[in-house]
Amino acid sequence: MAAENGHTAKEIIAIRRADGESRTLAASLPRLVLEARRIAANVIHGLHGRRRAGSGENFWQYRRFVSGEPSQNVDWRRSARDDHLYVRELEWEASHTVWIWPDRSPSMAFASKTARESKLERTLIVAFALAELLVAGGERVGIPGLMAPTASRNVIDKMAQAMLHDDAIRLSLPPSFVPAALAETIVLSDFWSPIAEIQAMLAGLSGSGAHGTLVQIVDPAEESFPYSGRVEFVEPEGFGVITAGRAESWAQDYTTRLALHRDQIRAETNKLDWLFTTHATDRSAAELLLFLHAGMQVSKSGARTTAIKAGPAA
Amino acid sequence: MMGLPLAFTEPLLLIGLISLPVLWWLLRVMPPRPRRIEFPPTRLLFDIAPREETPSRTPWWLTALRLLAAALVIFAAAGPIWNPQTGLAASRAPLMIMLDDGWSAASNWDIRIRAADELIANADNDRRAIALVPLSEPNRDITLMPAGAARVALRQIVPKPYSIDRVETLTAIDRFLKATGDCEIAWLSDGVDTGRGEEFVAGLGKTLGDRSLTLYEGGTSSPLALVAAENAAAKMTVKVLRTDSGILAGTVRALDQKASPIGEARFTFGPQDKEVEAAFDLPVELRNDISRLEISGERSAGAVQLLDKRWRRRAIGIVSGASSETAQPLLAPTFYLTRALAPFADVRLADKGSPQQGITQFLDQKLPMIILADVGTVAPELRERLNAWIDQGGVLVRFAGPRLAQAEDDLVPVKLRKGGRTLGGSLTWEKPQHLASFAADGPFAGVAVPKDVTVSRQVLAEPDAVLATKSWASLEDGTPLVTGEHRGKGIVSLFHVSADIRWSDLPMSGTFVEMLRRVVDMSGYTSKPGPGVATEASAETLAPLHMLDGFGAFAPPPATAKPLAADYRDRATPDHPPGFYGPAEGPLAVNTLANADRIAALNTASLRARHATYTNAEPRDLRGWLLSTALALFLVDAIIVALLGGGIAALLRRRAAPAVILLGFILAGAAVLAPTPLRADSASDEFAMKSTSQTRLAYVVTGNADVDSIVKAGMSGLTLFLAQRTALEAGDPVGVDPAHDELAFFPLIYWPIVPGQPKPPQDAINKIDAYMKQGGTVIFDTRDAVEAPPGDNGASQTPGMQSLRELLSSLDVPELEPVPREHVLTKTFYLLRDFPGRFNSGQTWVEALPREDDDESAQRPARGGDGVSPIIITSNDLAGAWALRPDGQPMLPLTPGEPRQREFAYRAGVNIVMYTLTGNYKADQVHAPALIERLGQ
Repeated sequence: MAAENGHTAKEIIAIRRADGESRTLAASLPRLVLEARRIAANVIHGLHGRRRAGSGENFWQYRRFVSGEPSQNVDWRRSARDDHLYVRELEWEASHTVWIWPDRSPSMAFASKTARESKLERTLIVAFALAELLVAGGERVGIPGLMAPTASRNVIDKMAQAMLHDDAIRLSLPPSFVPAALAETIVLSDFWSPIAEIQAMLAGLSGSGAHGTLVQIVDPAEESFPYSGRVEFVEPEGFGVITAGRAESWAQDYTTRLALHRDQIRAETNKLDWLFTTHATDRSAAELLLFLHAGMQVSKSGARTTAIKAGPAA
Repeated sequence: MMGLPLAFTEPLLLIGLISLPVLWWLLRVMPPRPRRIEFPPTRLLFDIAPREETPSRTPWWLTALRLLAAALVIFAAAGPIWNPQTGLAASRAPLMIMLDDGWSAASNWDIRIRAADELIANADNDRRAIALVPLSEPNRDITLMPAGAARVALRQIVPKPYSIDRVETLTAIDRFLKATGDCEIAWLSDGVDTGRGEEFVAGLGKTLGDRSLTLYEGGTSSPLALVAAENAAAKMTVKVLRTDSGILAGTVRALDQKASPIGEARFTFGPQDKEVEAAFDLPVELRNDISRLEISGERSAGAVQLLDKRWRRRAIGIVSGASSETAQPLLAPTFYLTRALAPFADVRLADKGSPQQGITQFLDQKLPMIILADVGTVAPELRERLNAWIDQGGVLVRFAGPRLAQAEDDLVPVKLRKGGRTLGGSLTWEKPQHLASFAADGPFAGVAVPKDVTVSRQVLAEPDAVLATKSWASLEDGTPLVTGEHRGKGIVSLFHVSADIRWSDLPMSGTFVEMLRRVVDMSGYTSKPGPGVATEASAETLAPLHMLDGFGAFAPPPATAKPLAADYRDRATPDHPPGFYGPAEGPLAVNTLANADRIAALNTASLRARHATYTNAEPRDLRGWLLSTALALFLVDAIIVALLGGGIAALLRRRAAPAVILLGFILAGAAVLAPTPLRADSASDEFAMKSTSQTRLAYVVTGNADVDSIVKAGMSGLTLFLAQRTALEAGDPVGVDPAHDELAFFPLIYWPIVPGQPKPPQDAINKIDAYMKQGGTVIFDTRDAVEAPPGDNGASQTPGMQSLRELLSSLDVPELEPVPREHVLTKTFYLLRDFPGRFNSGQTWVEALPREDDDESAQRPARGGDGVSPIIITSNDLAGAWALRPDGQPMLPLTPGEPRQREFAYRAGVNIVMYTLTGNYKADQVHAPALIERLGQ
């Protein structure tokens, strides 16, 4: 219980810090405008201009008033110029929903001595920044099982509030739910769960044909395994303990095992046409955000593989 | 425990030490506790096949450290006590405490008393009666008493200042033991055998039978003693005694009568030495003031040596009647006397001159003893003085000889027959006489009579009734060899033989030395009639004055102290404790130990006894110490483990970089610093070579670049002009810094004054002063004649003059005057009237010439002092006028600007240089026509 409290406290601190940092980060990026792909006509209008007249905010064209239309559509200012009545048409815009899952499990609180911030903090920064960008771009952002999709301007506050008042068990992977077919899912986690669990999660999330991105956020120590001597390794989520007599001799095997794990995840995501990338906390958060930005703008599934290859630390 | 004063309250717990090997094995096998690290991808590690893990072993030294800590804990648990109290066997029998209380026990008296206190306390706990036996008091009745009374009695015992005779007490002990029956005995011994020690030990063993004896011995420093102080010819020596190899070195202090320290002498024992000599190297006057020697830090009567007048070295004057003694020194009477007296007295020989003068001289010096060797008649007035001197206590010793044999005076103790007696000569039947006896009541009493001393000639006394009492030594035929008589406070004594070996071979014998010593002992102004003087038949007794207590401090005489004979020479006894006896002005010293006494360690090996030591420290519980050490070791262990756990490498890596940088800095610093002095040396050498290989003009570098460049050009210009017009082809001018450069190489230094520049440092001023004193000339040029305000005193008001005045204020400048018309400076090369430079209004000052009579000066066209003026002051800016540009054109315009002025400026420069180089030579030359003219007349 004490550990649980400790973790909650850490999370609160991380949320507060991430709140501020993510705003700066979001402000520094150009407006993230999602490519409007796979958006059906019945999708709630968003900012993705459809190059057609429709409901939206931006001016598209003036057209002659057709009788039978409600008279309130008439643009009187334009109509006063000549003898015809005009209707002001706006560009049709559409928005879509992006589900962001920041992993807030105890394992994310890990930060090695060389790392500037913990994985949790980095995860929250990226999640908040991404949400801010997406909302600014007109999308709706939600957290599976925690926050319904919203396009509210102060989405960061809302996410933070939701997290602060969340008293559920912190899960590593998003709860199984079925997003809409055209929704986007971004899972920010360390993905240290067994591959079977990850497979199950992916199967659930992509069941309706939705696409998404898996971002593995790791600490540098988790990649380089800089331990030596007699070390007892403890899984922070209580999955067991293992003692290494000479930890330095384990490093080789560990890196091999790590690569295998990632390959497994990648194979799974490739199968489903999802994106998978890794991000170490000693890199800049903006780097990851740029990658996600770029990845979301790629329209074709064929281009995704390229994006994976070019991804940071992949 | 093995000789160490260490005991354990729970010795059984030491068995725990056996467990250490087991602990060793366990510690070696048990791996250290792993570091616990939270590692999220631990689940990946589960999949890695576990490797074969050898048990991680602790380094052996770490294990040893832990074992040591564990051993310390075990030792601490066993309750170790340093200096444990030595108890007695538990018993109900009465306890008899024998206490050594002679002087040798005094130095550690407190420790003995404490040990006795402990014994009494232990006995008190067991409700045992106690008998206290101080071994110095054989007559004291030994009684049993309760502990309280014993404590009081113990407090009343003080160490005695003399050597105790333990054997005397044996009978009392025997009596007591027979009366008491069962008894336990403790002997607090001081471990010193001052005589009859073995006898006592044997007797004690017999007396005690099978009663249990605890012998306290050792654990304290053994006592030191002083004996045989001797005021030798060059120094005061005293022997320091010890019983064993305890104390290695120390200091003997010498105090005078008022207890103020006079000197200290160190002594150092060799490894096996039982005695060593300490020597005071002091002037004889100081040595004579010494009345007490003591070993500093040693509080016992034995460590004190009291000195009385017998230890004073007397100054003895020897006057010889013989005329030429130095030619054949072995035949001179003074030779044997000097040799015989030297060990214990300071001999002064009369200076060359008549015997009368020698006697007068010694009387003036107020010597306590005068020896007249074959001095005949003494002038009547001198005889009066001698008589008065003897009355005041002087000791006059005369030796016979041819002159004395012919003379007649009253400065002899007996009436002499005229002429001498020759024995064993070729014309006599008589054999040379042997020395027969010394008068038992005379000063020579006790001196061994030598068998080999013969007397072949002597002066004879008129036989009369008192001759026998006056005779101190006599020959076999009963004729006196030495007679003596007391007159007033002094003594007159006569050796009836000569002081050389012509009349007898007494002067060559050792007896002669001893006899003289006895005589010298009697001398001294303050002495009362000495012992053994013929007129005093009965020995005098002296009352105790100041006594030493057992600790060696002066105390009033105890009631038991008895007066002693004035010739008492023995060691102190209970009746005669050590101290001063007799009158305060000339007391007799009695010491604890006689000269021949030696101390030895008491051999108690034959006693059946439990041995205990005096613990000179409180019992100390070592538990706290051991436990804290163990704790510290555990702490060290923890730090080591922490470091071993991975920290060492990181630590080393962090340290290495600064260390390398530091090392680099040190090396670089050394490299930079090392060659610097070499450069300085070679630079100054180069400067000297350059300055001396050629005559050069010098100027002072002011630091003002404009001025310096003008002056340099000016000096070059002058050098060029000199080469063109005169025989002087000087080298390039040199700029000097008076603070650093050697000035002695230059005949002339030009010093431009820059107003407002700070005064040079005192070092530089001193060097300039020396330069001017040694014949150098400095031209001070203020270069500002045109700036002088109009008026009478204007020239001295310019800023340059102000600066110059400040500079000269710390120089020793002679009296100055404006260059007079007839000054040699105006004639040395060119005939000049003034000395223009860039300006011509300034006045030139030189050292004032000595004043001369008006008529003579009128005749002399040139005058020069004996030397060259060390200083020339001008304000005309000479260098400015001399300065040439590289193209040969003048550098600066002149004021007022006539072309002649530059030529004259150069000429002034030439004259000044010639003046400094030739001095007043020109003055003579100018005189030449007049001289020739005068000669021609």
